[in-house]
Amino acid sequence: MRRYLAAAVAKELRAGKALLLLAVAGVALGVGSVLSIQLLNQGALGAFAGTVRAVSGDADLTVLGWAGALDERLLDDVLAVPGVRAAIPLWRAEAALDGAPGQGLELVGADLLAAIRSPWPLPEGALEDALARPGWVAVTPALAAEKGWREGSRVDVSLGSRRATLVVGALVDFQKVAPLASRRLAVLDLAQAQGLFGARGRIHQIDVLATPGVAAAELSGRIAARLGERARVTTPEQRTVEAAGLLAAFRLNLTALSLVSLLVGGFLVHASVRASLARRREELGVLRVVGATRGQVLALVLGEAALLGAAGTALGIPLGWLAARANLSAVSGTVRTLYLLEGIERVTLGPRLLLLAVAVGVGGAVAGALAPAVDASRRDPRALLSSLTLEERARAGAGRALALGAAAVLAGLAFQAAAGARWAPSGFVLALGVLAAVPLAAPAGLAALGRVPRPRRLGVRFGIRTLASRPSGASVAAGALAVAVAMLAGVTIMVASFRASVERWLGATLRADVYVTTPSWRRARSDATLAPEVVARLRGFPGAVALDVLRQVQASSRGRRVSVSGVDAALPGGERRVELVSGDARAAMRALREGAALVSEPLARKDGLAPGGRLEVRGPRGDAALPIAGVYRDYGTEAGAALVDLGTFARLFGEGPPSNAALYLAAGRDAEAAVARLRAELAGHALQIRSNRALRGEVLAIFEQTFAVTRLVQAMGLVIAAAGVTLSLLVLARERRAELALYRAIGATRLRLAALFLGRGLAMGLAGLALGAAGGFALAAVLVLVVNPAFFGWSLGVSVPWARLAGQALAILAVAALASLYPALAASRTPAAELSRDAL
Amino acid sequence: MPPVLAFRAVSREYRAAGGAILRALREATGEVPAGRVVAVTGRSGSGKSTLLHLAAGIDEPTSGEVLLLGRSLRALVDGERTRLRRDHVGLVFQFFHLVPHLSVLENVLVPALVAGDPARAAEERARALLAKVGLGDRAQEPAQKLSGGEMQRVALCRALLRRPSLLLADEPTGNLDEETGRAVMDLILALAREEGSAVLYVTHSRELADAADAVWTMHSGVLEAGAAR
Repeated sequence: MRRYLAAAVAKELRAGKALLLLAVAGVALGVGSVLSIQLLNQGALGAFAGTVRAVSGDADLTVLGWAGALDERLLDDVLAVPGVRAAIPLWRAEAALDGAPGQGLELVGADLLAAIRSPWPLPEGALEDALARPGWVAVTPALAAEKGWREGSRVDVSLGSRRATLVVGALVDFQKVAPLASRRLAVLDLAQAQGLFGARGRIHQIDVLATPGVAAAELSGRIAARLGERARVTTPEQRTVEAAGLLAAFRLNLTALSLVSLLVGGFLVHASVRASLARRREELGVLRVVGATRGQVLALVLGEAALLGAAGTALGIPLGWLAARANLSAVSGTVRTLYLLEGIERVTLGPRLLLLAVAVGVGGAVAGALAPAVDASRRDPRALLSSLTLEERARAGAGRALALGAAAVLAGLAFQAAAGARWAPSGFVLALGVLAAVPLAAPAGLAALGRVPRPRRLGVRFGIRTLASRPSGASVAAGALAVAVAMLAGVTIMVASFRASVERWLGATLRADVYVTTPSWRRARSDATLAPEVVARLRGFPGAVALDVLRQVQASSRGRRVSVSGVDAALPGGERRVELVSGDARAAMRALREGAALVSEPLARKDGLAPGGRLEVRGPRGDAALPIAGVYRDYGTEAGAALVDLGTFARLFGEGPPSNAALYLAAGRDAEAAVARLRAELAGHALQIRSNRALRGEVLAIFEQTFAVTRLVQAMGLVIAAAGVTLSLLVLARERRAELALYRAIGATRLRLAALFLGRGLAMGLAGLALGAAGGFALAAVLVLVVNPAFFGWSLGVSVPWARLAGQALAILAVAALASLYPALAASRTPAAELSRDAL
Repeated sequence: MPPVLAFRAVSREYRAAGGAILRALREATGEVPAGRVVAVTGRSGSGKSTLLHLAAGIDEPTSGEVLLLGRSLRALVDGERTRLRRDHVGLVFQFFHLVPHLSVLENVLVPALVAGDPARAAEERARALLAKVGLGDRAQEPAQKLSGGEMQRVALCRALLRRPSLLLADEPTGNLDEETGRAVMDLILALAREEGSAVLYVTHSRELADAADAVWTMHSGVLEAGAAR
């Protein structure tokens, strides 16, 4: 049978090149979609772990602050713990590169004189230079090449509003230690870093090496006991796990999207195998007649599908790689700005992902072929030799498939009702139920289309009507298209709802006229502060009626990283800065002045917090339990955030300068003019000064960047579905060659046959569109009302972008028509002389 | 009045797989006058079906001329030949070639759909033809549920729907039992005469050939046109 398989595959290649190529393309796109997302997901975690490794080397433990920087005097405490072989203090911050918006240097201030060798040995003779030369910094050769830097090049950077000039002293390849480490890593002397950036006495982490024979876990306990609540002790592995936890929702979301593409690709294989079986049913019948077992027939069909999957995988792997590379910048931006983790600079394709690609491609192809293969193997030889049974069964199955689809939705709803409160991803199960129902309704949808009034000509309408009368192959293609359309419409509505919610939120909370922050703030947060003279100038700015300042720190609450912000709760009209989910904002501000906190909606949902409860915050001065005065909307971070008065903030985290300031101008003052004047007056400081309008625009640009990769996956799904329409019509053109020849014999012109097939393509497009639209609205409801609140923690209002959806609908119909062109051309070429003696 | 169909020294050659030339038809000459019935007999492979395909314009001669209603098919491009066939020729096949997913009525209406005829008039005509062949009460049934004889009667209605000048039938009874075949052939000839259509039909049966006005005999691609009776 193995020899027969080889011969059969060779024959299939000759007989149905276009069909096979389309199916292979479907698998390739599915594999490419899944692989690209996994490459990016892995790249995000790899970048974090790689940077940890490049900076900390073989450190057994790392001591970190609960909220921002540490007092460097902690180093003595750590060194005093028995079992500590060495403790290496590190100062870390991402400084903004002048003249390169959005780009920074990940500065690591290290004690270069430390006795223990660092993971990144400096070139010989560099040490003296590093200590003596002001601003000396070692950068990676990759960054130096990108920027055109050489030894001696001057690099202007800023941290907060403070500017500094660094001098490239050495090129050190940190990526040799960890290939995925950031190429933006830059090392300088610890004392120099503290001096240059105004951070005397402050460090960010202490890497600890254990004395040989001392277990890391035991040592961790000893250090934790010594430091008490002043700092936390962690391992490099735990830090990577924490980063994975932060990215979990983002990664799962992308993975789910990419799996939809794979599902659509599976449909394509299914359609291709059905076509192949329809064409070869007589051959299979003869095989059974001459003694082939059911198992052999099954193995033959599945073996062919596996080979098809392997071919698709071989093409899908480079495709996935290219797609990941193309989206690297957008995903990296999201990871950096929204999750404050290391940006992704490169993706690596290791054996694990290669194996995943093969499993997804070959497994998906075999899974797609399974149903028709089992069906063919179970038929008795007589049924295989008859052309009618296939269609009769397909028609009888339409009602059953519809019922199965309804059952899938009901099962998803039941699961959500039962597990929704306890298991956040249950919404994805419901979404899966909806997506499963969409293709299952396709046969019934096509049958409904078949009820169009009787056509007057052999053309488009006749094509629609007759397609519905033999729906088996067409319903698979329409189903695949419907899934892609459902995904497109569902995600489009979700993104529009999200955007409308964010716009409304920005409108409600961004009240000031001018916003002032620093280029490094987005990444460096509490280390990026405004100089006192900047704040003083803002307070005295002509026409200013109020200045609102903000301090922020990444703190810890019940083991969760929470962004805690301090604002002036006494600011007149300050209650308008927050939009409460429920309750009175004025009363909430009063409570804030008395030491209470407001918690963001995602934090409240994830930690089960509510007004009247308490927010536990761990800071450098110990634990605090703040009464919760309200829950406010926040779309800035899904990890969770809290708002307190500046007084409470200082009590928890110490005094310090603000990171952001918002200026309220007197009525009638021109915000843009104020921005221009402030920029001129404060030119000596590194500042980002923006009007309210400009800030909103930037926030929405970040929002769009977050969904850029989503659009790519959507597009891949649609391309696969379009290939499905072409494939299905080619199958039809082949299966109905005799019918077409009859029409030609009766006098139908080639144009008429082409119109007939365009009608069939449109029928598939219409069915896919109608079902996809219904599924898309249902999917959007699940994503907006269930998945987002449960998984990300924020509630969204539903907003339907009708114009955009209408545009997409037209585009899909155009794609269906385009996808029909080649099959229509092929069908129109059917000569009347083809009318053989086979039954139609 | 010119003949409905005329062959003028028509030859048709095919190139076989090994490069050998197969001569399916050799300088065939004959005419089918308007309203007359001609039977073509001969052994399998003698060129009968080739003759019919050439008559319908779905195949082209290697040499010679086929004239349909006085127009040389060779002088027409594919689209023109197709329209000439659509408007003036009806075809009946041995294996019926009904479209299985269409109803009986819809099958009969296919030529009207192809030509874009007014729907109401076409449907009235189709129903009248079905009534004539005894299938008036089965118009809405799926074609695949009919028996062989019934299918051929539907195929006949389809062929006659647009009142063709020429009805071509390729062994119309070849897939039916003797009694049904005879009944179907009687129906074809009766209806064709009633409609005024000339008929050229292929048959193996001497008895069925005798019902024609003239009999053409084929031997290895050579046509012997018998005298009219």
